[in-house]
Amino acid sequence: MGLEKFDPALAVHDLIQDLKWSVELRAEFTANEAAVLDRYPLRPDERRAIETRNFLALYDIGLHPYLGGQLARLIFGNEAGKGATVAVNKLVESLQGKGSVA
Amino acid sequence: MAEIVFAAGAPHAPGLIGLLEAAPADVKDIVATTYRNLASAMVSANADVLIVFANDHLANSRIRAYPDFLIGMAAEHRGPFEWFKPWIGCEDYSVKGSPEIAAALFNGMTRRGIRMFAQNENLKFDDNISVPVQLTRLAELGLPMVPVLQNCTVPPIPDQHRCYAVGEALGDFIRNDLPADMRVALLGSGGLSHEPGGARYYFIDEAFDRWFLDLVASGDHARLLKELTLEKMEAAGSGGTSELLSWVVVLGAIGSRPGKSFGYTVHRDFKCGVGAVLWDMEANLPKRRAA
Repeated sequence: MGLEKFDPALAVHDLIQDLKWSVELRAEFTANEAAVLDRYPLRPDERRAIETRNFLALYDIGLHPYLGGQLARLIFGNEAGKGATVAVNKLVESLQGKGSVA
Repeated sequence: MAEIVFAAGAPHAPGLIGLLEAAPADVKDIVATTYRNLASAMVSANADVLIVFANDHLANSRIRAYPDFLIGMAAEHRGPFEWFKPWIGCEDYSVKGSPEIAAALFNGMTRRGIRMFAQNENLKFDDNISVPVQLTRLAELGLPMVPVLQNCTVPPIPDQHRCYAVGEALGDFIRNDLPADMRVALLGSGGLSHEPGGARYYFIDEAFDRWFLDLVASGDHARLLKELTLEKMEAAGSGGTSELLSWVVVLGAIGSRPGKSFGYTVHRDFKCGVGAVLWDMEANLPKRRAA
């Protein structure tokens, strides 16, 4: 699974970059994820994949894998050896066939 | 004519800081030996400035407006950027910059037909710059740094031939545009094999890593450019192994020279092969006539 399906036009890329660049947006995402998602022009299948933590589906529609790894950390944890490890394992579980890891 | 007095390539996996303490002793030993030797060589070289090429990791620019090369022109480089701090597990640092050399680099590469971008504001640094800065204790050395963040992962990716050509232009810039007595250090930060964000996140291609380290230490650049294709790097770890293109820029600048490694190690938790090469800047110099 590489960059063959990469679609830079997807709005999810902007969402992930904004989240990592803004403490305030991350807090809002945690408190009210739907309100944050409402502000991005996400395709229905793109939004559904985010909501169900389906990284496999996101990659299939064109999410860049490097930002996929960061989305996993934004959702599951970002600390070395702790939340970041959980995030990697959840991501790999999804990509290796499970799909949704909500 | 300014001179390149130090040139090396080294990985920047975040685990080299945040997960190092929990690593086996033999792994820790190779990491410590590698970066201690690089720092020592940097000091011995008595450089005036360090130019670092490293993967940007989509940290600074939108994916649809993505520069292939972004120069940091700030007078002071602070890192890591807030969100990356717990992930890397490193303390805040501040390294002296060189706005004058950064501006000269930008103008010099533009004149040579190489499109780079440059930013006065502090760039967002993740492991790309933070790991080598911390492990070589660059802030304590007081050596000014000019970071150049590179596109190693957003298609179309500048391939090995393009990166080598950029390196050749960089070498020409250093030798002909910078002050005659200036001593320049170059570091390519990235690799070895890894697949960040991929289904094979824990995959490390040991055979590829050993092949690559031997090849770049041999000085055979014709073979390197023929064999180090994007396809080969993708197979060795999608989206991560291609960070070795930062090493290729450095190799283009210095030309064919032998190098030495300080060992190679694999540790699953690092999710990245670890090994560096220091190139011999004294090699291939014209032989002095015996007195």
